[in-house]
Amino acid sequence: METTSPPGTKRRRGWRGDADQRSGAWYPRWYWPSFTGPGTLWLVLLFVLPFYTVLSVAFGTVEPFFRTPLPVYQPWYWNFATFSTTLEKLYVSPAIYQPALIRTFTYVFAASFICLVIGYAVAYYAARFAGKHRVLVLVLLVAPFWISYLMRIYAWQSLLQPDGYVNDALGALHLVSSPVLWLSGKPVTVILGLVYGYIPFMILPLYGSLDRIEASMLEAGRDLGASPSQTFRRVTLPLSKPAILAGLVIVALPMFGDYYTSNLLGTQQTSMFGNLIDTSVYQAGQGPEAGSLVLILMVIVIAPMLYYLRETRRAAESA
Amino acid sequence: MSRHPMDDRWSRRQFMRGAGGAAIALPSMAAILAACSKPGTTTTDGGSSGGGERQIARPETPVTLPLRGDSIAADTPIEEGATLQVYNWDSYMYKKVIKDFEDEYGVSVEWTTFNNMEEGIQKLVSGQVKPDVFFPTIDYISRLVEKDLLLPLTHELIPNMESNVWPSFSDPGPFYDVGWQYTVPYTIYTTGVAYRRDRVDDASAAEQGYDLLWNPDYSGAISYYDSYRDALGMALVRLGNMDPNTGDQTSIDAAKDSVLEILNDYNGRLTINGTFAKLPEGEFTVSQSWSGDIVGAKWYLPKGTPEDVLGFWFPDDKVGLISNDTIVIPTTAQSPRLAHEFLNFFLDATHGYQNFADWNGYQPPFTSINPSKLISDKVVPPDLEKAVVTEEMFTKGLVPGELTPEVDQLWLNAWNEIQAGGG
Amino acid sequence: MSSATLVPPTPASSTASRIRGWRKNPWRRPRFLQAITIGYLLWSLIPVAIAVVFSFNSGRSRSTWQGASLRWWNGDPFDSLFHDPTLRAAMLQTFRLSFLTVLIAVPIGTAFAIGIDRWHGRPARPANFMMLLSFVVPEMILGVSLFLLFTNLFKNLVPLGTTAQLLGLATFQMSYPVIIVRARLLSIGPEYEEAAMDLGAKPGQSIRRVLLPLLSPAILASVAVVFADSVDDFVIVRYLSGPANSEPLSVKIYSAARSSPTPAVNAAATVMLMATLAMIIVGYLVYRRFARGTGDAGDMASFTQL
Repeated sequence: METTSPPGTKRRRGWRGDADQRSGAWYPRWYWPSFTGPGTLWLVLLFVLPFYTVLSVAFGTVEPFFRTPLPVYQPWYWNFATFSTTLEKLYVSPAIYQPALIRTFTYVFAASFICLVIGYAVAYYAARFAGKHRVLVLVLLVAPFWISYLMRIYAWQSLLQPDGYVNDALGALHLVSSPVLWLSGKPVTVILGLVYGYIPFMILPLYGSLDRIEASMLEAGRDLGASPSQTFRRVTLPLSKPAILAGLVIVALPMFGDYYTSNLLGTQQTSMFGNLIDTSVYQAGQGPEAGSLVLILMVIVIAPMLYYLRETRRAAESA
Repeated sequence: MSRHPMDDRWSRRQFMRGAGGAAIALPSMAAILAACSKPGTTTTDGGSSGGGERQIARPETPVTLPLRGDSIAADTPIEEGATLQVYNWDSYMYKKVIKDFEDEYGVSVEWTTFNNMEEGIQKLVSGQVKPDVFFPTIDYISRLVEKDLLLPLTHELIPNMESNVWPSFSDPGPFYDVGWQYTVPYTIYTTGVAYRRDRVDDASAAEQGYDLLWNPDYSGAISYYDSYRDALGMALVRLGNMDPNTGDQTSIDAAKDSVLEILNDYNGRLTINGTFAKLPEGEFTVSQSWSGDIVGAKWYLPKGTPEDVLGFWFPDDKVGLISNDTIVIPTTAQSPRLAHEFLNFFLDATHGYQNFADWNGYQPPFTSINPSKLISDKVVPPDLEKAVVTEEMFTKGLVPGELTPEVDQLWLNAWNEIQAGGG
Repeated sequence: MSSATLVPPTPASSTASRIRGWRKNPWRRPRFLQAITIGYLLWSLIPVAIAVVFSFNSGRSRSTWQGASLRWWNGDPFDSLFHDPTLRAAMLQTFRLSFLTVLIAVPIGTAFAIGIDRWHGRPARPANFMMLLSFVVPEMILGVSLFLLFTNLFKNLVPLGTTAQLLGLATFQMSYPVIIVRARLLSIGPEYEEAAMDLGAKPGQSIRRVLLPLLSPAILASVAVVFADSVDDFVIVRYLSGPANSEPLSVKIYSAARSSPTPAVNAAATVMLMATLAMIIVGYLVYRRFARGTGDAGDMASFTQL
């Protein structure tokens, strides 16, 4: 149907449009779709169907004997009782899950913001000033990206032990008189753990974006009399805004589901939303609640997810 | 129990957070279809208490389980060259003892593991595993029988029950299985308080008792088990409620507040390794402790720290929390005769003792084990005398058992509130 | 002597002016940024380096250095990495899963990328959307969903364990080859293929003989990325692990970190780290070799812009 649209109205992608017309002429209709078949089928079975199972578990019941989840697969039999009691635990007094929810938002926003500040500075330096060390800096920036998250958090867990090097260093500098119990439920430990874990996901898109800003644009700003800080505010920052937003989304999304950072660096006093899910998913009789919590998490992250997809799509089309 | 003191000094390291494994469920397809046509007969917040008229076993109301199915004849030949499928916690048995069994009978043993009881039960129920030998906790026995999953034992094939196990386990038999129709005991353990004797003296510990864990002086150095039955159970007992299976909302709430007091006011930590690993390393001063954990803690003492820094408190009147694990033969057993031999082997004074003393740390209820000899043989350090379990403790003790779904839900609600961390 | 008396004021004043200049405009001279960058790199890499070093600790502590030894690698007859059968089994499981995930996810993902790039029919959009959604969905959600799938709907088909882990990992990883290969497809365009077909090649031939060789850098990059990311995966493989022997190294590290880790865990993590880095380096070198002469458009970008 697209071949009939007049050039320039619907798609303005030049040669790609032409290619479509030609490929339509050369290949059987089923040819390209068949390439996508296995992947599509795979995702239907192992990506869409699992979500349906979550719905069926959340709106289902439990087997009375061993209290395992008993999903209900027909939507017309769905029972929303557990879902609503789970919701109530979030906002109706005594709202026992509310503190964890608030904590999750606080930690995620704080950690994302810190990721942005540090990440922007580092990416900006790497893109603009690294000069002949650029490749080295880039390789080093990429390195933590490829080191297992778990190993990096494990490394910090060791350093933050009461007798670990962090306390040794603070003690040697006479900043503390007795070891700080970093791992005893301190929010700052968990937030910095999250920053540490996810910041590579922030730096790399920022670097990519800042790197693409043409030097001529900056020179133009300067030639027109802007001070360097004005150039930064008026040129660099707006041009990197999409990458900033994308970076924020891409670090915040997994943080919302994170439970292991809090588990390894904190206590139940730093429990996040992911911990609620992880706790209930194994408990007898709690299957529908676990499913409900997953659905609620999905609702929380769906908007940023769609935003991210729209932005990357736009970027791809404008590239 | 969602968590369990599966213990030996190597495996605890791999012990996942109680949750660890997977609650893989699985009633039969028919059950699902039934639920599909008539969903909503139960909800997570209550509903029917599966099992109809089934009575819940308690020490004061022992239960004789219904006899379902036939036991094997005593003259059944041993399955030669068979592979015995054993389904147990990771590393809850000494591999050397398994090897000895293999050599003695000329068979091989295949050991499949589960990470928590829910996972173990569900895989058994759904038929994902078909073991010859299984190690359930006592709260599941009655339900397993109800579902026709356990084979009645042939007593003649397990002579060690008579000759080596505390008489209360065979006559009349444990309250959860009077007449030991389906189970033999594996290990027994009390739950008390472990403390560092270099920081708390014995007299002070004896005076404080459970309050050791609620003492602000040890703020930041208190460990409490990350397991709902143990955590809430001890808080109940400390508050004077001697029913560790209570269904009373007020008592459960009081216990919950009591646990939150440790965590929030005294900066206590919920851990699974606080006793066996962190207390010996000095991170904690006091910790909630299974007796088997503190016995095994000596392996974790840093070089140069003497064994006598480890102390253990349990009520002097011996009325405290106590539980045991069992060994059973599921109806799925392909080699039921050999499975009987396996049970008997682990109840043997030599092999069972070796499993305990050289590896497991958790004591089997053997008449051949003399408490004072355990200490002179240095299996249990002298200052941990109270960690030795005696038959008297077992008959007087408070045993966390099966809860009805409604009561279990009350406990889980309280526990989930604790886990969610409060404000 | 005289020079000594003359010299000191100079650096002092230049430092002062530098600070003044920096105050006036911190962005002009990147000292401040440089400091942050160096600080960041130290912050991100030193803890890992220390963790690696501690695998050679002779004591059982992972936080107090007690002298160097190979005890936790090979020396200890029970607890060292090479003698503890559970750690060995876990390493094997990690590599088995990663290898098989590559074998599944990369071919299916590559085919999907080619198809979606060339097919502009209406159903292409939802299929593509679904694929991209699988890329951004938090792993926690996918992990728990798959867990519920395998324990309920598929319980009689696929028990938890290696197969389930493999299916889950492949689902999570499939979007990487799609994105990497598609970026490459966009940059090479359809001209080469068309030329081949003008010269009489059949569709299948043009793909095999022209397109796949052109895509090989992206496919190799995908192999490296998928392998490395599978080695590092934790959430999905944990939820889908069955018996203890199906637990890969990341799950063992997590369990150990929550209970009582010895430096043997550091050794295991070091092996994992080396495997990942080796895969990345090999992948990158091969990529460079294949990509030579085709411009540097996708060069580092594939590695950095995921």
